[in-house]
Amino acid sequence: MSEEKLHEMISELQERLRQGKIGRREFLRYASLLGLSLGAAEALASCAPQPTPEPTPTVGAAPQEPTATPAPGEPTPPPAVVEAKAGHMLRFNPAVCTGCLMCAVACAEKWATEYFPEETKDVVNLEFSRIRPMRSQYIDVVNVCTYCTLIAWAEGSDKAPCQQVCPEDAIIVVPEGEGKEGFTGMGYMAIDRDKCQGIDLCGRCLEVCEDQFGSGISFDPIEGKSQICTMCGGLPACVDACPEPTALQFVPLMTNGRYFANPPEAYFELMYAKIFGKRRDL
Amino acid sequence: MAEFKGVTGKIARVDLSSGTVSVVETPEEIYKKFLGGSALGVYYLFKEGVVEPSVHPFSPENMIQFMIGPMNGISPNARSVIVTKSGYNFICISTSGGRAAMELKFAGWDGIQVVGKAEKPVYLAVIDDNIEIRDASKIWGMDTQQAEVEMRKSVLSPLEYRESILRDADLTPEWAALRPVKRQGIGAKRLASSWVIGPGGENMVWYANVITEGARAHGRYGSGAIAGSKNLKGIVIRGTKGHRLADKAKVLELVREIQASESKDSFWRSYGTAGIGASSANIEDSFPIRNWQWNAWADPANVKALEGPFMDTASFVKQTACPGCALHCMYLAEVTSEDELMDGTITDMPDWEAMGMVGGNLGYLELPGAMPDDSFTGDHWDLVEFQAKCQHTAFLHDYYGMDYIEGGSLLGLLMELRQRDLITVGDLDGIDLQWGDIHAVDAIMKKIAHREGIGDVLANGTWETAKYFAEKKGKPEIMNYPVTTHRYSQPAHDTRGFDKDALEYVTVARPTAHTGGGGAGFKQADYAAAIAGQNAKSAVDSLVYCNFAAGHWAGKTAELVKAATGWTDFAEEDLGKVGARQYALCRLFDIHTQQLTDPKTEWDMLVPHRWFNDPLPTGPAKGQVAYDGDPSKLFDEALPAYWKARGWTEDKGIPTAETLEELGIADIAEAIAAQHR
Repeated sequence: MSEEKLHEMISELQERLRQGKIGRREFLRYASLLGLSLGAAEALASCAPQPTPEPTPTVGAAPQEPTATPAPGEPTPPPAVVEAKAGHMLRFNPAVCTGCLMCAVACAEKWATEYFPEETKDVVNLEFSRIRPMRSQYIDVVNVCTYCTLIAWAEGSDKAPCQQVCPEDAIIVVPEGEGKEGFTGMGYMAIDRDKCQGIDLCGRCLEVCEDQFGSGISFDPIEGKSQICTMCGGLPACVDACPEPTALQFVPLMTNGRYFANPPEAYFELMYAKIFGKRRDL
Repeated sequence: MAEFKGVTGKIARVDLSSGTVSVVETPEEIYKKFLGGSALGVYYLFKEGVVEPSVHPFSPENMIQFMIGPMNGISPNARSVIVTKSGYNFICISTSGGRAAMELKFAGWDGIQVVGKAEKPVYLAVIDDNIEIRDASKIWGMDTQQAEVEMRKSVLSPLEYRESILRDADLTPEWAALRPVKRQGIGAKRLASSWVIGPGGENMVWYANVITEGARAHGRYGSGAIAGSKNLKGIVIRGTKGHRLADKAKVLELVREIQASESKDSFWRSYGTAGIGASSANIEDSFPIRNWQWNAWADPANVKALEGPFMDTASFVKQTACPGCALHCMYLAEVTSEDELMDGTITDMPDWEAMGMVGGNLGYLELPGAMPDDSFTGDHWDLVEFQAKCQHTAFLHDYYGMDYIEGGSLLGLLMELRQRDLITVGDLDGIDLQWGDIHAVDAIMKKIAHREGIGDVLANGTWETAKYFAEKKGKPEIMNYPVTTHRYSQPAHDTRGFDKDALEYVTVARPTAHTGGGGAGFKQADYAAAIAGQNAKSAVDSLVYCNFAAGHWAGKTAELVKAATGWTDFAEEDLGKVGARQYALCRLFDIHTQQLTDPKTEWDMLVPHRWFNDPLPTGPAKGQVAYDGDPSKLFDEALPAYWKARGWTEDKGIPTAETLEELGIADIAEAIAAQHR
C-alpha cells in the first residue's frame, strides 16, 4: 500500500472517529490492520480532533440525564469500556428454556424504571417487558423482536416492517456508535415515544408484525405506547438474568432476523414437533 | 378501601346459581392473621358457614376457593391453593404450581370463591377486574390438556377486538402485492393461564382434581369433583396490573438472593423428585410395592427404572419451571415402549408420588412372574417398559384430572383383593386386574372417570370401595387392605420403615398429607418441634409458595412478607401463629362437618390395618411395624401428648377456649368448639 493511500485511509478513519461513527477501539483495530503499530495508532487516535458533542437522540420520554446511581436492586451498571457488539442478536433455545420468566421480570423492571419511575415505584408489572416467554402445553417459546427487515429488491424497502408501516416515523434505528449513554454503541431499534400514537389510535406496527412476521411489539400499560426490544444497546438485561446456561444468549449473527421470526402459535407447533417429534394444534 | 400492598385486598365471589360476581373485601387485620392462601380459605369456610354439616360437599352451598397469598406474583416458586369441603366430607386444601397463581395476582385478585351451581357447563374468564361467566358446552367432556388450550385461545388480544387499520397504502406497493392473507397471525400471543378439570371432575369422581399446564395438579382431596358439581369446567386468567409491593427494591433483592441460592441446588436442578426412589425410599424401606405388601426390593436393580439418570436417557425431554423458580423440578417426558398403548405418550416425569403410587404400588417394577423378593434378571429395555407403565398411568390420571395417590392406592387395593381371591373378575365388570397389567388399568380408569358400571363405585375412592366389597362379598377382612388414614389414601411414604412416624399422618391438618412438615420432630417424639414444623408448612401454603424451595426461603420469609406488605410489625413468629390457627380450624372443621362425638375412635383411629399388623418382609427395616404393633402407644400415649402440646383437650383433641382466645380466632371458632368438647 502506498504511503499516500495509507495516509488517506488513516485520515478517513480519524474523521470517522471524530464524528463518532466508530469507537476508539475500532479505530485502533482498523489502524493496526492497515499496518500501523499500536503505539502509532494510539498517537493518531489522540490526534483526532475531539468530536463535537452531538445531541443524544431522544428515546421517548426518557430522562435526558441517565440516573447516576441505578435504582437499588437493579443490575450492576455496564462497565465503562465494552466491545462493540454490532450484529449481535438474542437467540433462545426452547429445549433448554424452562419458562421461568426471569428475563421478563428483568426487562420489565429495567424499562418501567426508565420511563415510569414514579408510577412503578411500588409495582412490578410484566407488561413493561419487551421479552415474553409464553407457555402452551409443555412448550416454552420466548417472544421477542428478531430484528426483521424487508427485502429491498422484492418488497421495495429494506426497513423493518414495523418501521415501514409506522405513520409517525416513531420506530427508529439508532446507528452504530450513537444513541443512549450506557449503551455500548451498536445499532439498535427504539421507539420515539413522543411520536408514537399508541395502541388506541394506531397499532399498525403490532398488526403487521403479528400478521406476517412474529410478535415482537408490545404496549406499555400506562400510556399504551409501543415497546420494542432495543437489546439494551448491547448489554441485554434478560440475558444477564437468565439462570439456564445457553437458554438465552446474545450472540453474533449478521443476518436478517426475519429468518427466525414466527408467530408464537406457529412457533409452539414447530417446537412441539421438534421436541416431541409429533404435530399438535396449539 | 385501604391501599393494600403484597395482597390486593379483593376476593371475587362468583355465584353460579344467580350468575353474579361480587367483590369480597377482607380487612387488613384478617390478612395479618391468616396471610392468604390456605389459612384465609379455611377462615372463609367458617365465616360463610360451609363448616356446617348441613352443607353437603356437592350441594350448591359448598364454596370452592382458588386462593393465593401475599407472595404470589413477583416472588419465586409461586403456587395456588384450592380450599373447599371435600367430597369425602373433610377439609380440602390442595396446592399446585404453575403460572395461573401469578396471573391471578396480576389481574388484581387474592382469590376466587365460587358458590352455587350453574345450569349449564360454564367456565370463568378473569381478565383483570372483569370476570365473565362463559358457556363451556364446547369444552365440557374434553381432557384437561385440550380444554386448557381452548380456554386460553378464548382470551383475545386487543387487536382481535377491532377491525384492521392497516391499509395497503401503509405498505410499499411491491410489499402489498406480495403480502400473504391478512390477519392470520393476529392474537397468536397467548398469555393467559388456566385451571381446568377433566372428565373425572365433570363426573364427580371423588378424587378428581384441578389441573394446570397439562400436568400440574391441585392433586388431593377431590377439588375437581367440587368444581364439577358446580358445572364449572375451569378458570382462565389474564392479568396486566402487576404486583404492588410496599418496598419493591427490598423484595427484588430478596427474590434474587433466593434465586441465586436455588441456582446452586443441584438436587432439584438435576432430576427433581426422580432422585427420591433410589436414594431414599428404597433404602428407608418405604417404597410402596404391591399395595404396601413390600417396601423395598431385595434387588435394588428394579428401582433403576425410576432413577433420574436412567429416566433422562430413556424418556426425559426438557425441564420446565414455575414462575421465578430456578429449581425447575419438573421434567417433561416422551414415553418409549414396545406397547402401542403407551408409546409416544407425552407427560411429565412423573414425580415421586406417582413413581411410588402408580409405579411400584401397582407391581409395575417386576418382570412378569417375578416377585419383589426375586433378583432382577431383565435388561435395559425391561426397565424402559417398567418406566413406561408408570408414566402412562400418571398420564391417564392427569388426562382425566384425577389424583394418582388415591387412584394408585385404589388400583393397588383392587389388585391385592384379586391376588387374595377376595373379589373376582366379575366384580370388576370382566376386567382382569392383575399386578403390572397396564391394559387392565387403562380399561378400568376409563370406567372410573366416566362412572360406568363398577366405575361408579370405584369413583368414590379406596375406602368406600373396600367397604362396598366387604359388604357385598360378606368378607369383613377386606377392610384390612385399604391403606388409608382418615378414609383417604396414604402417599408414597410409609410409617413402618424409616421414612415417617405414624403420628404425622394421624395429626396432619390435611388428611394423610405427606407434605405436612414436622417429620423430624415426630420421629424423635419432640412434639413442640413437630408442631413448629407443621405450623411453618401451613404458612408456606398460606403465602403461597413451594415446599421444595422452603430451604432457600429459610430466614428470609418474614422479611419478604414485610417488604411486600409493609406490615412493619410482622415477625417470624407470626408465621407460626398462622399455622396454629389453620390447624385449630381444620381440626374443628373435620369434627364439626362430620358431627363426630368421639373423634378419636371415629376419626383419628381410622388408620391402615397394615401399619400395626403386617411386618415388612424385606429391606433394612425387615420385621418392623409401626409403634411396635401396639396401637395404644400411638393413640393413648403419643396422640394425647401431641394434643396437649397444641393446647387442645387430651381426650378429644378439641382446641381449648384459652387456645382459641390466644390465637385470636375465638370469634369464629369458639361456638363450634364448645359443641364438641
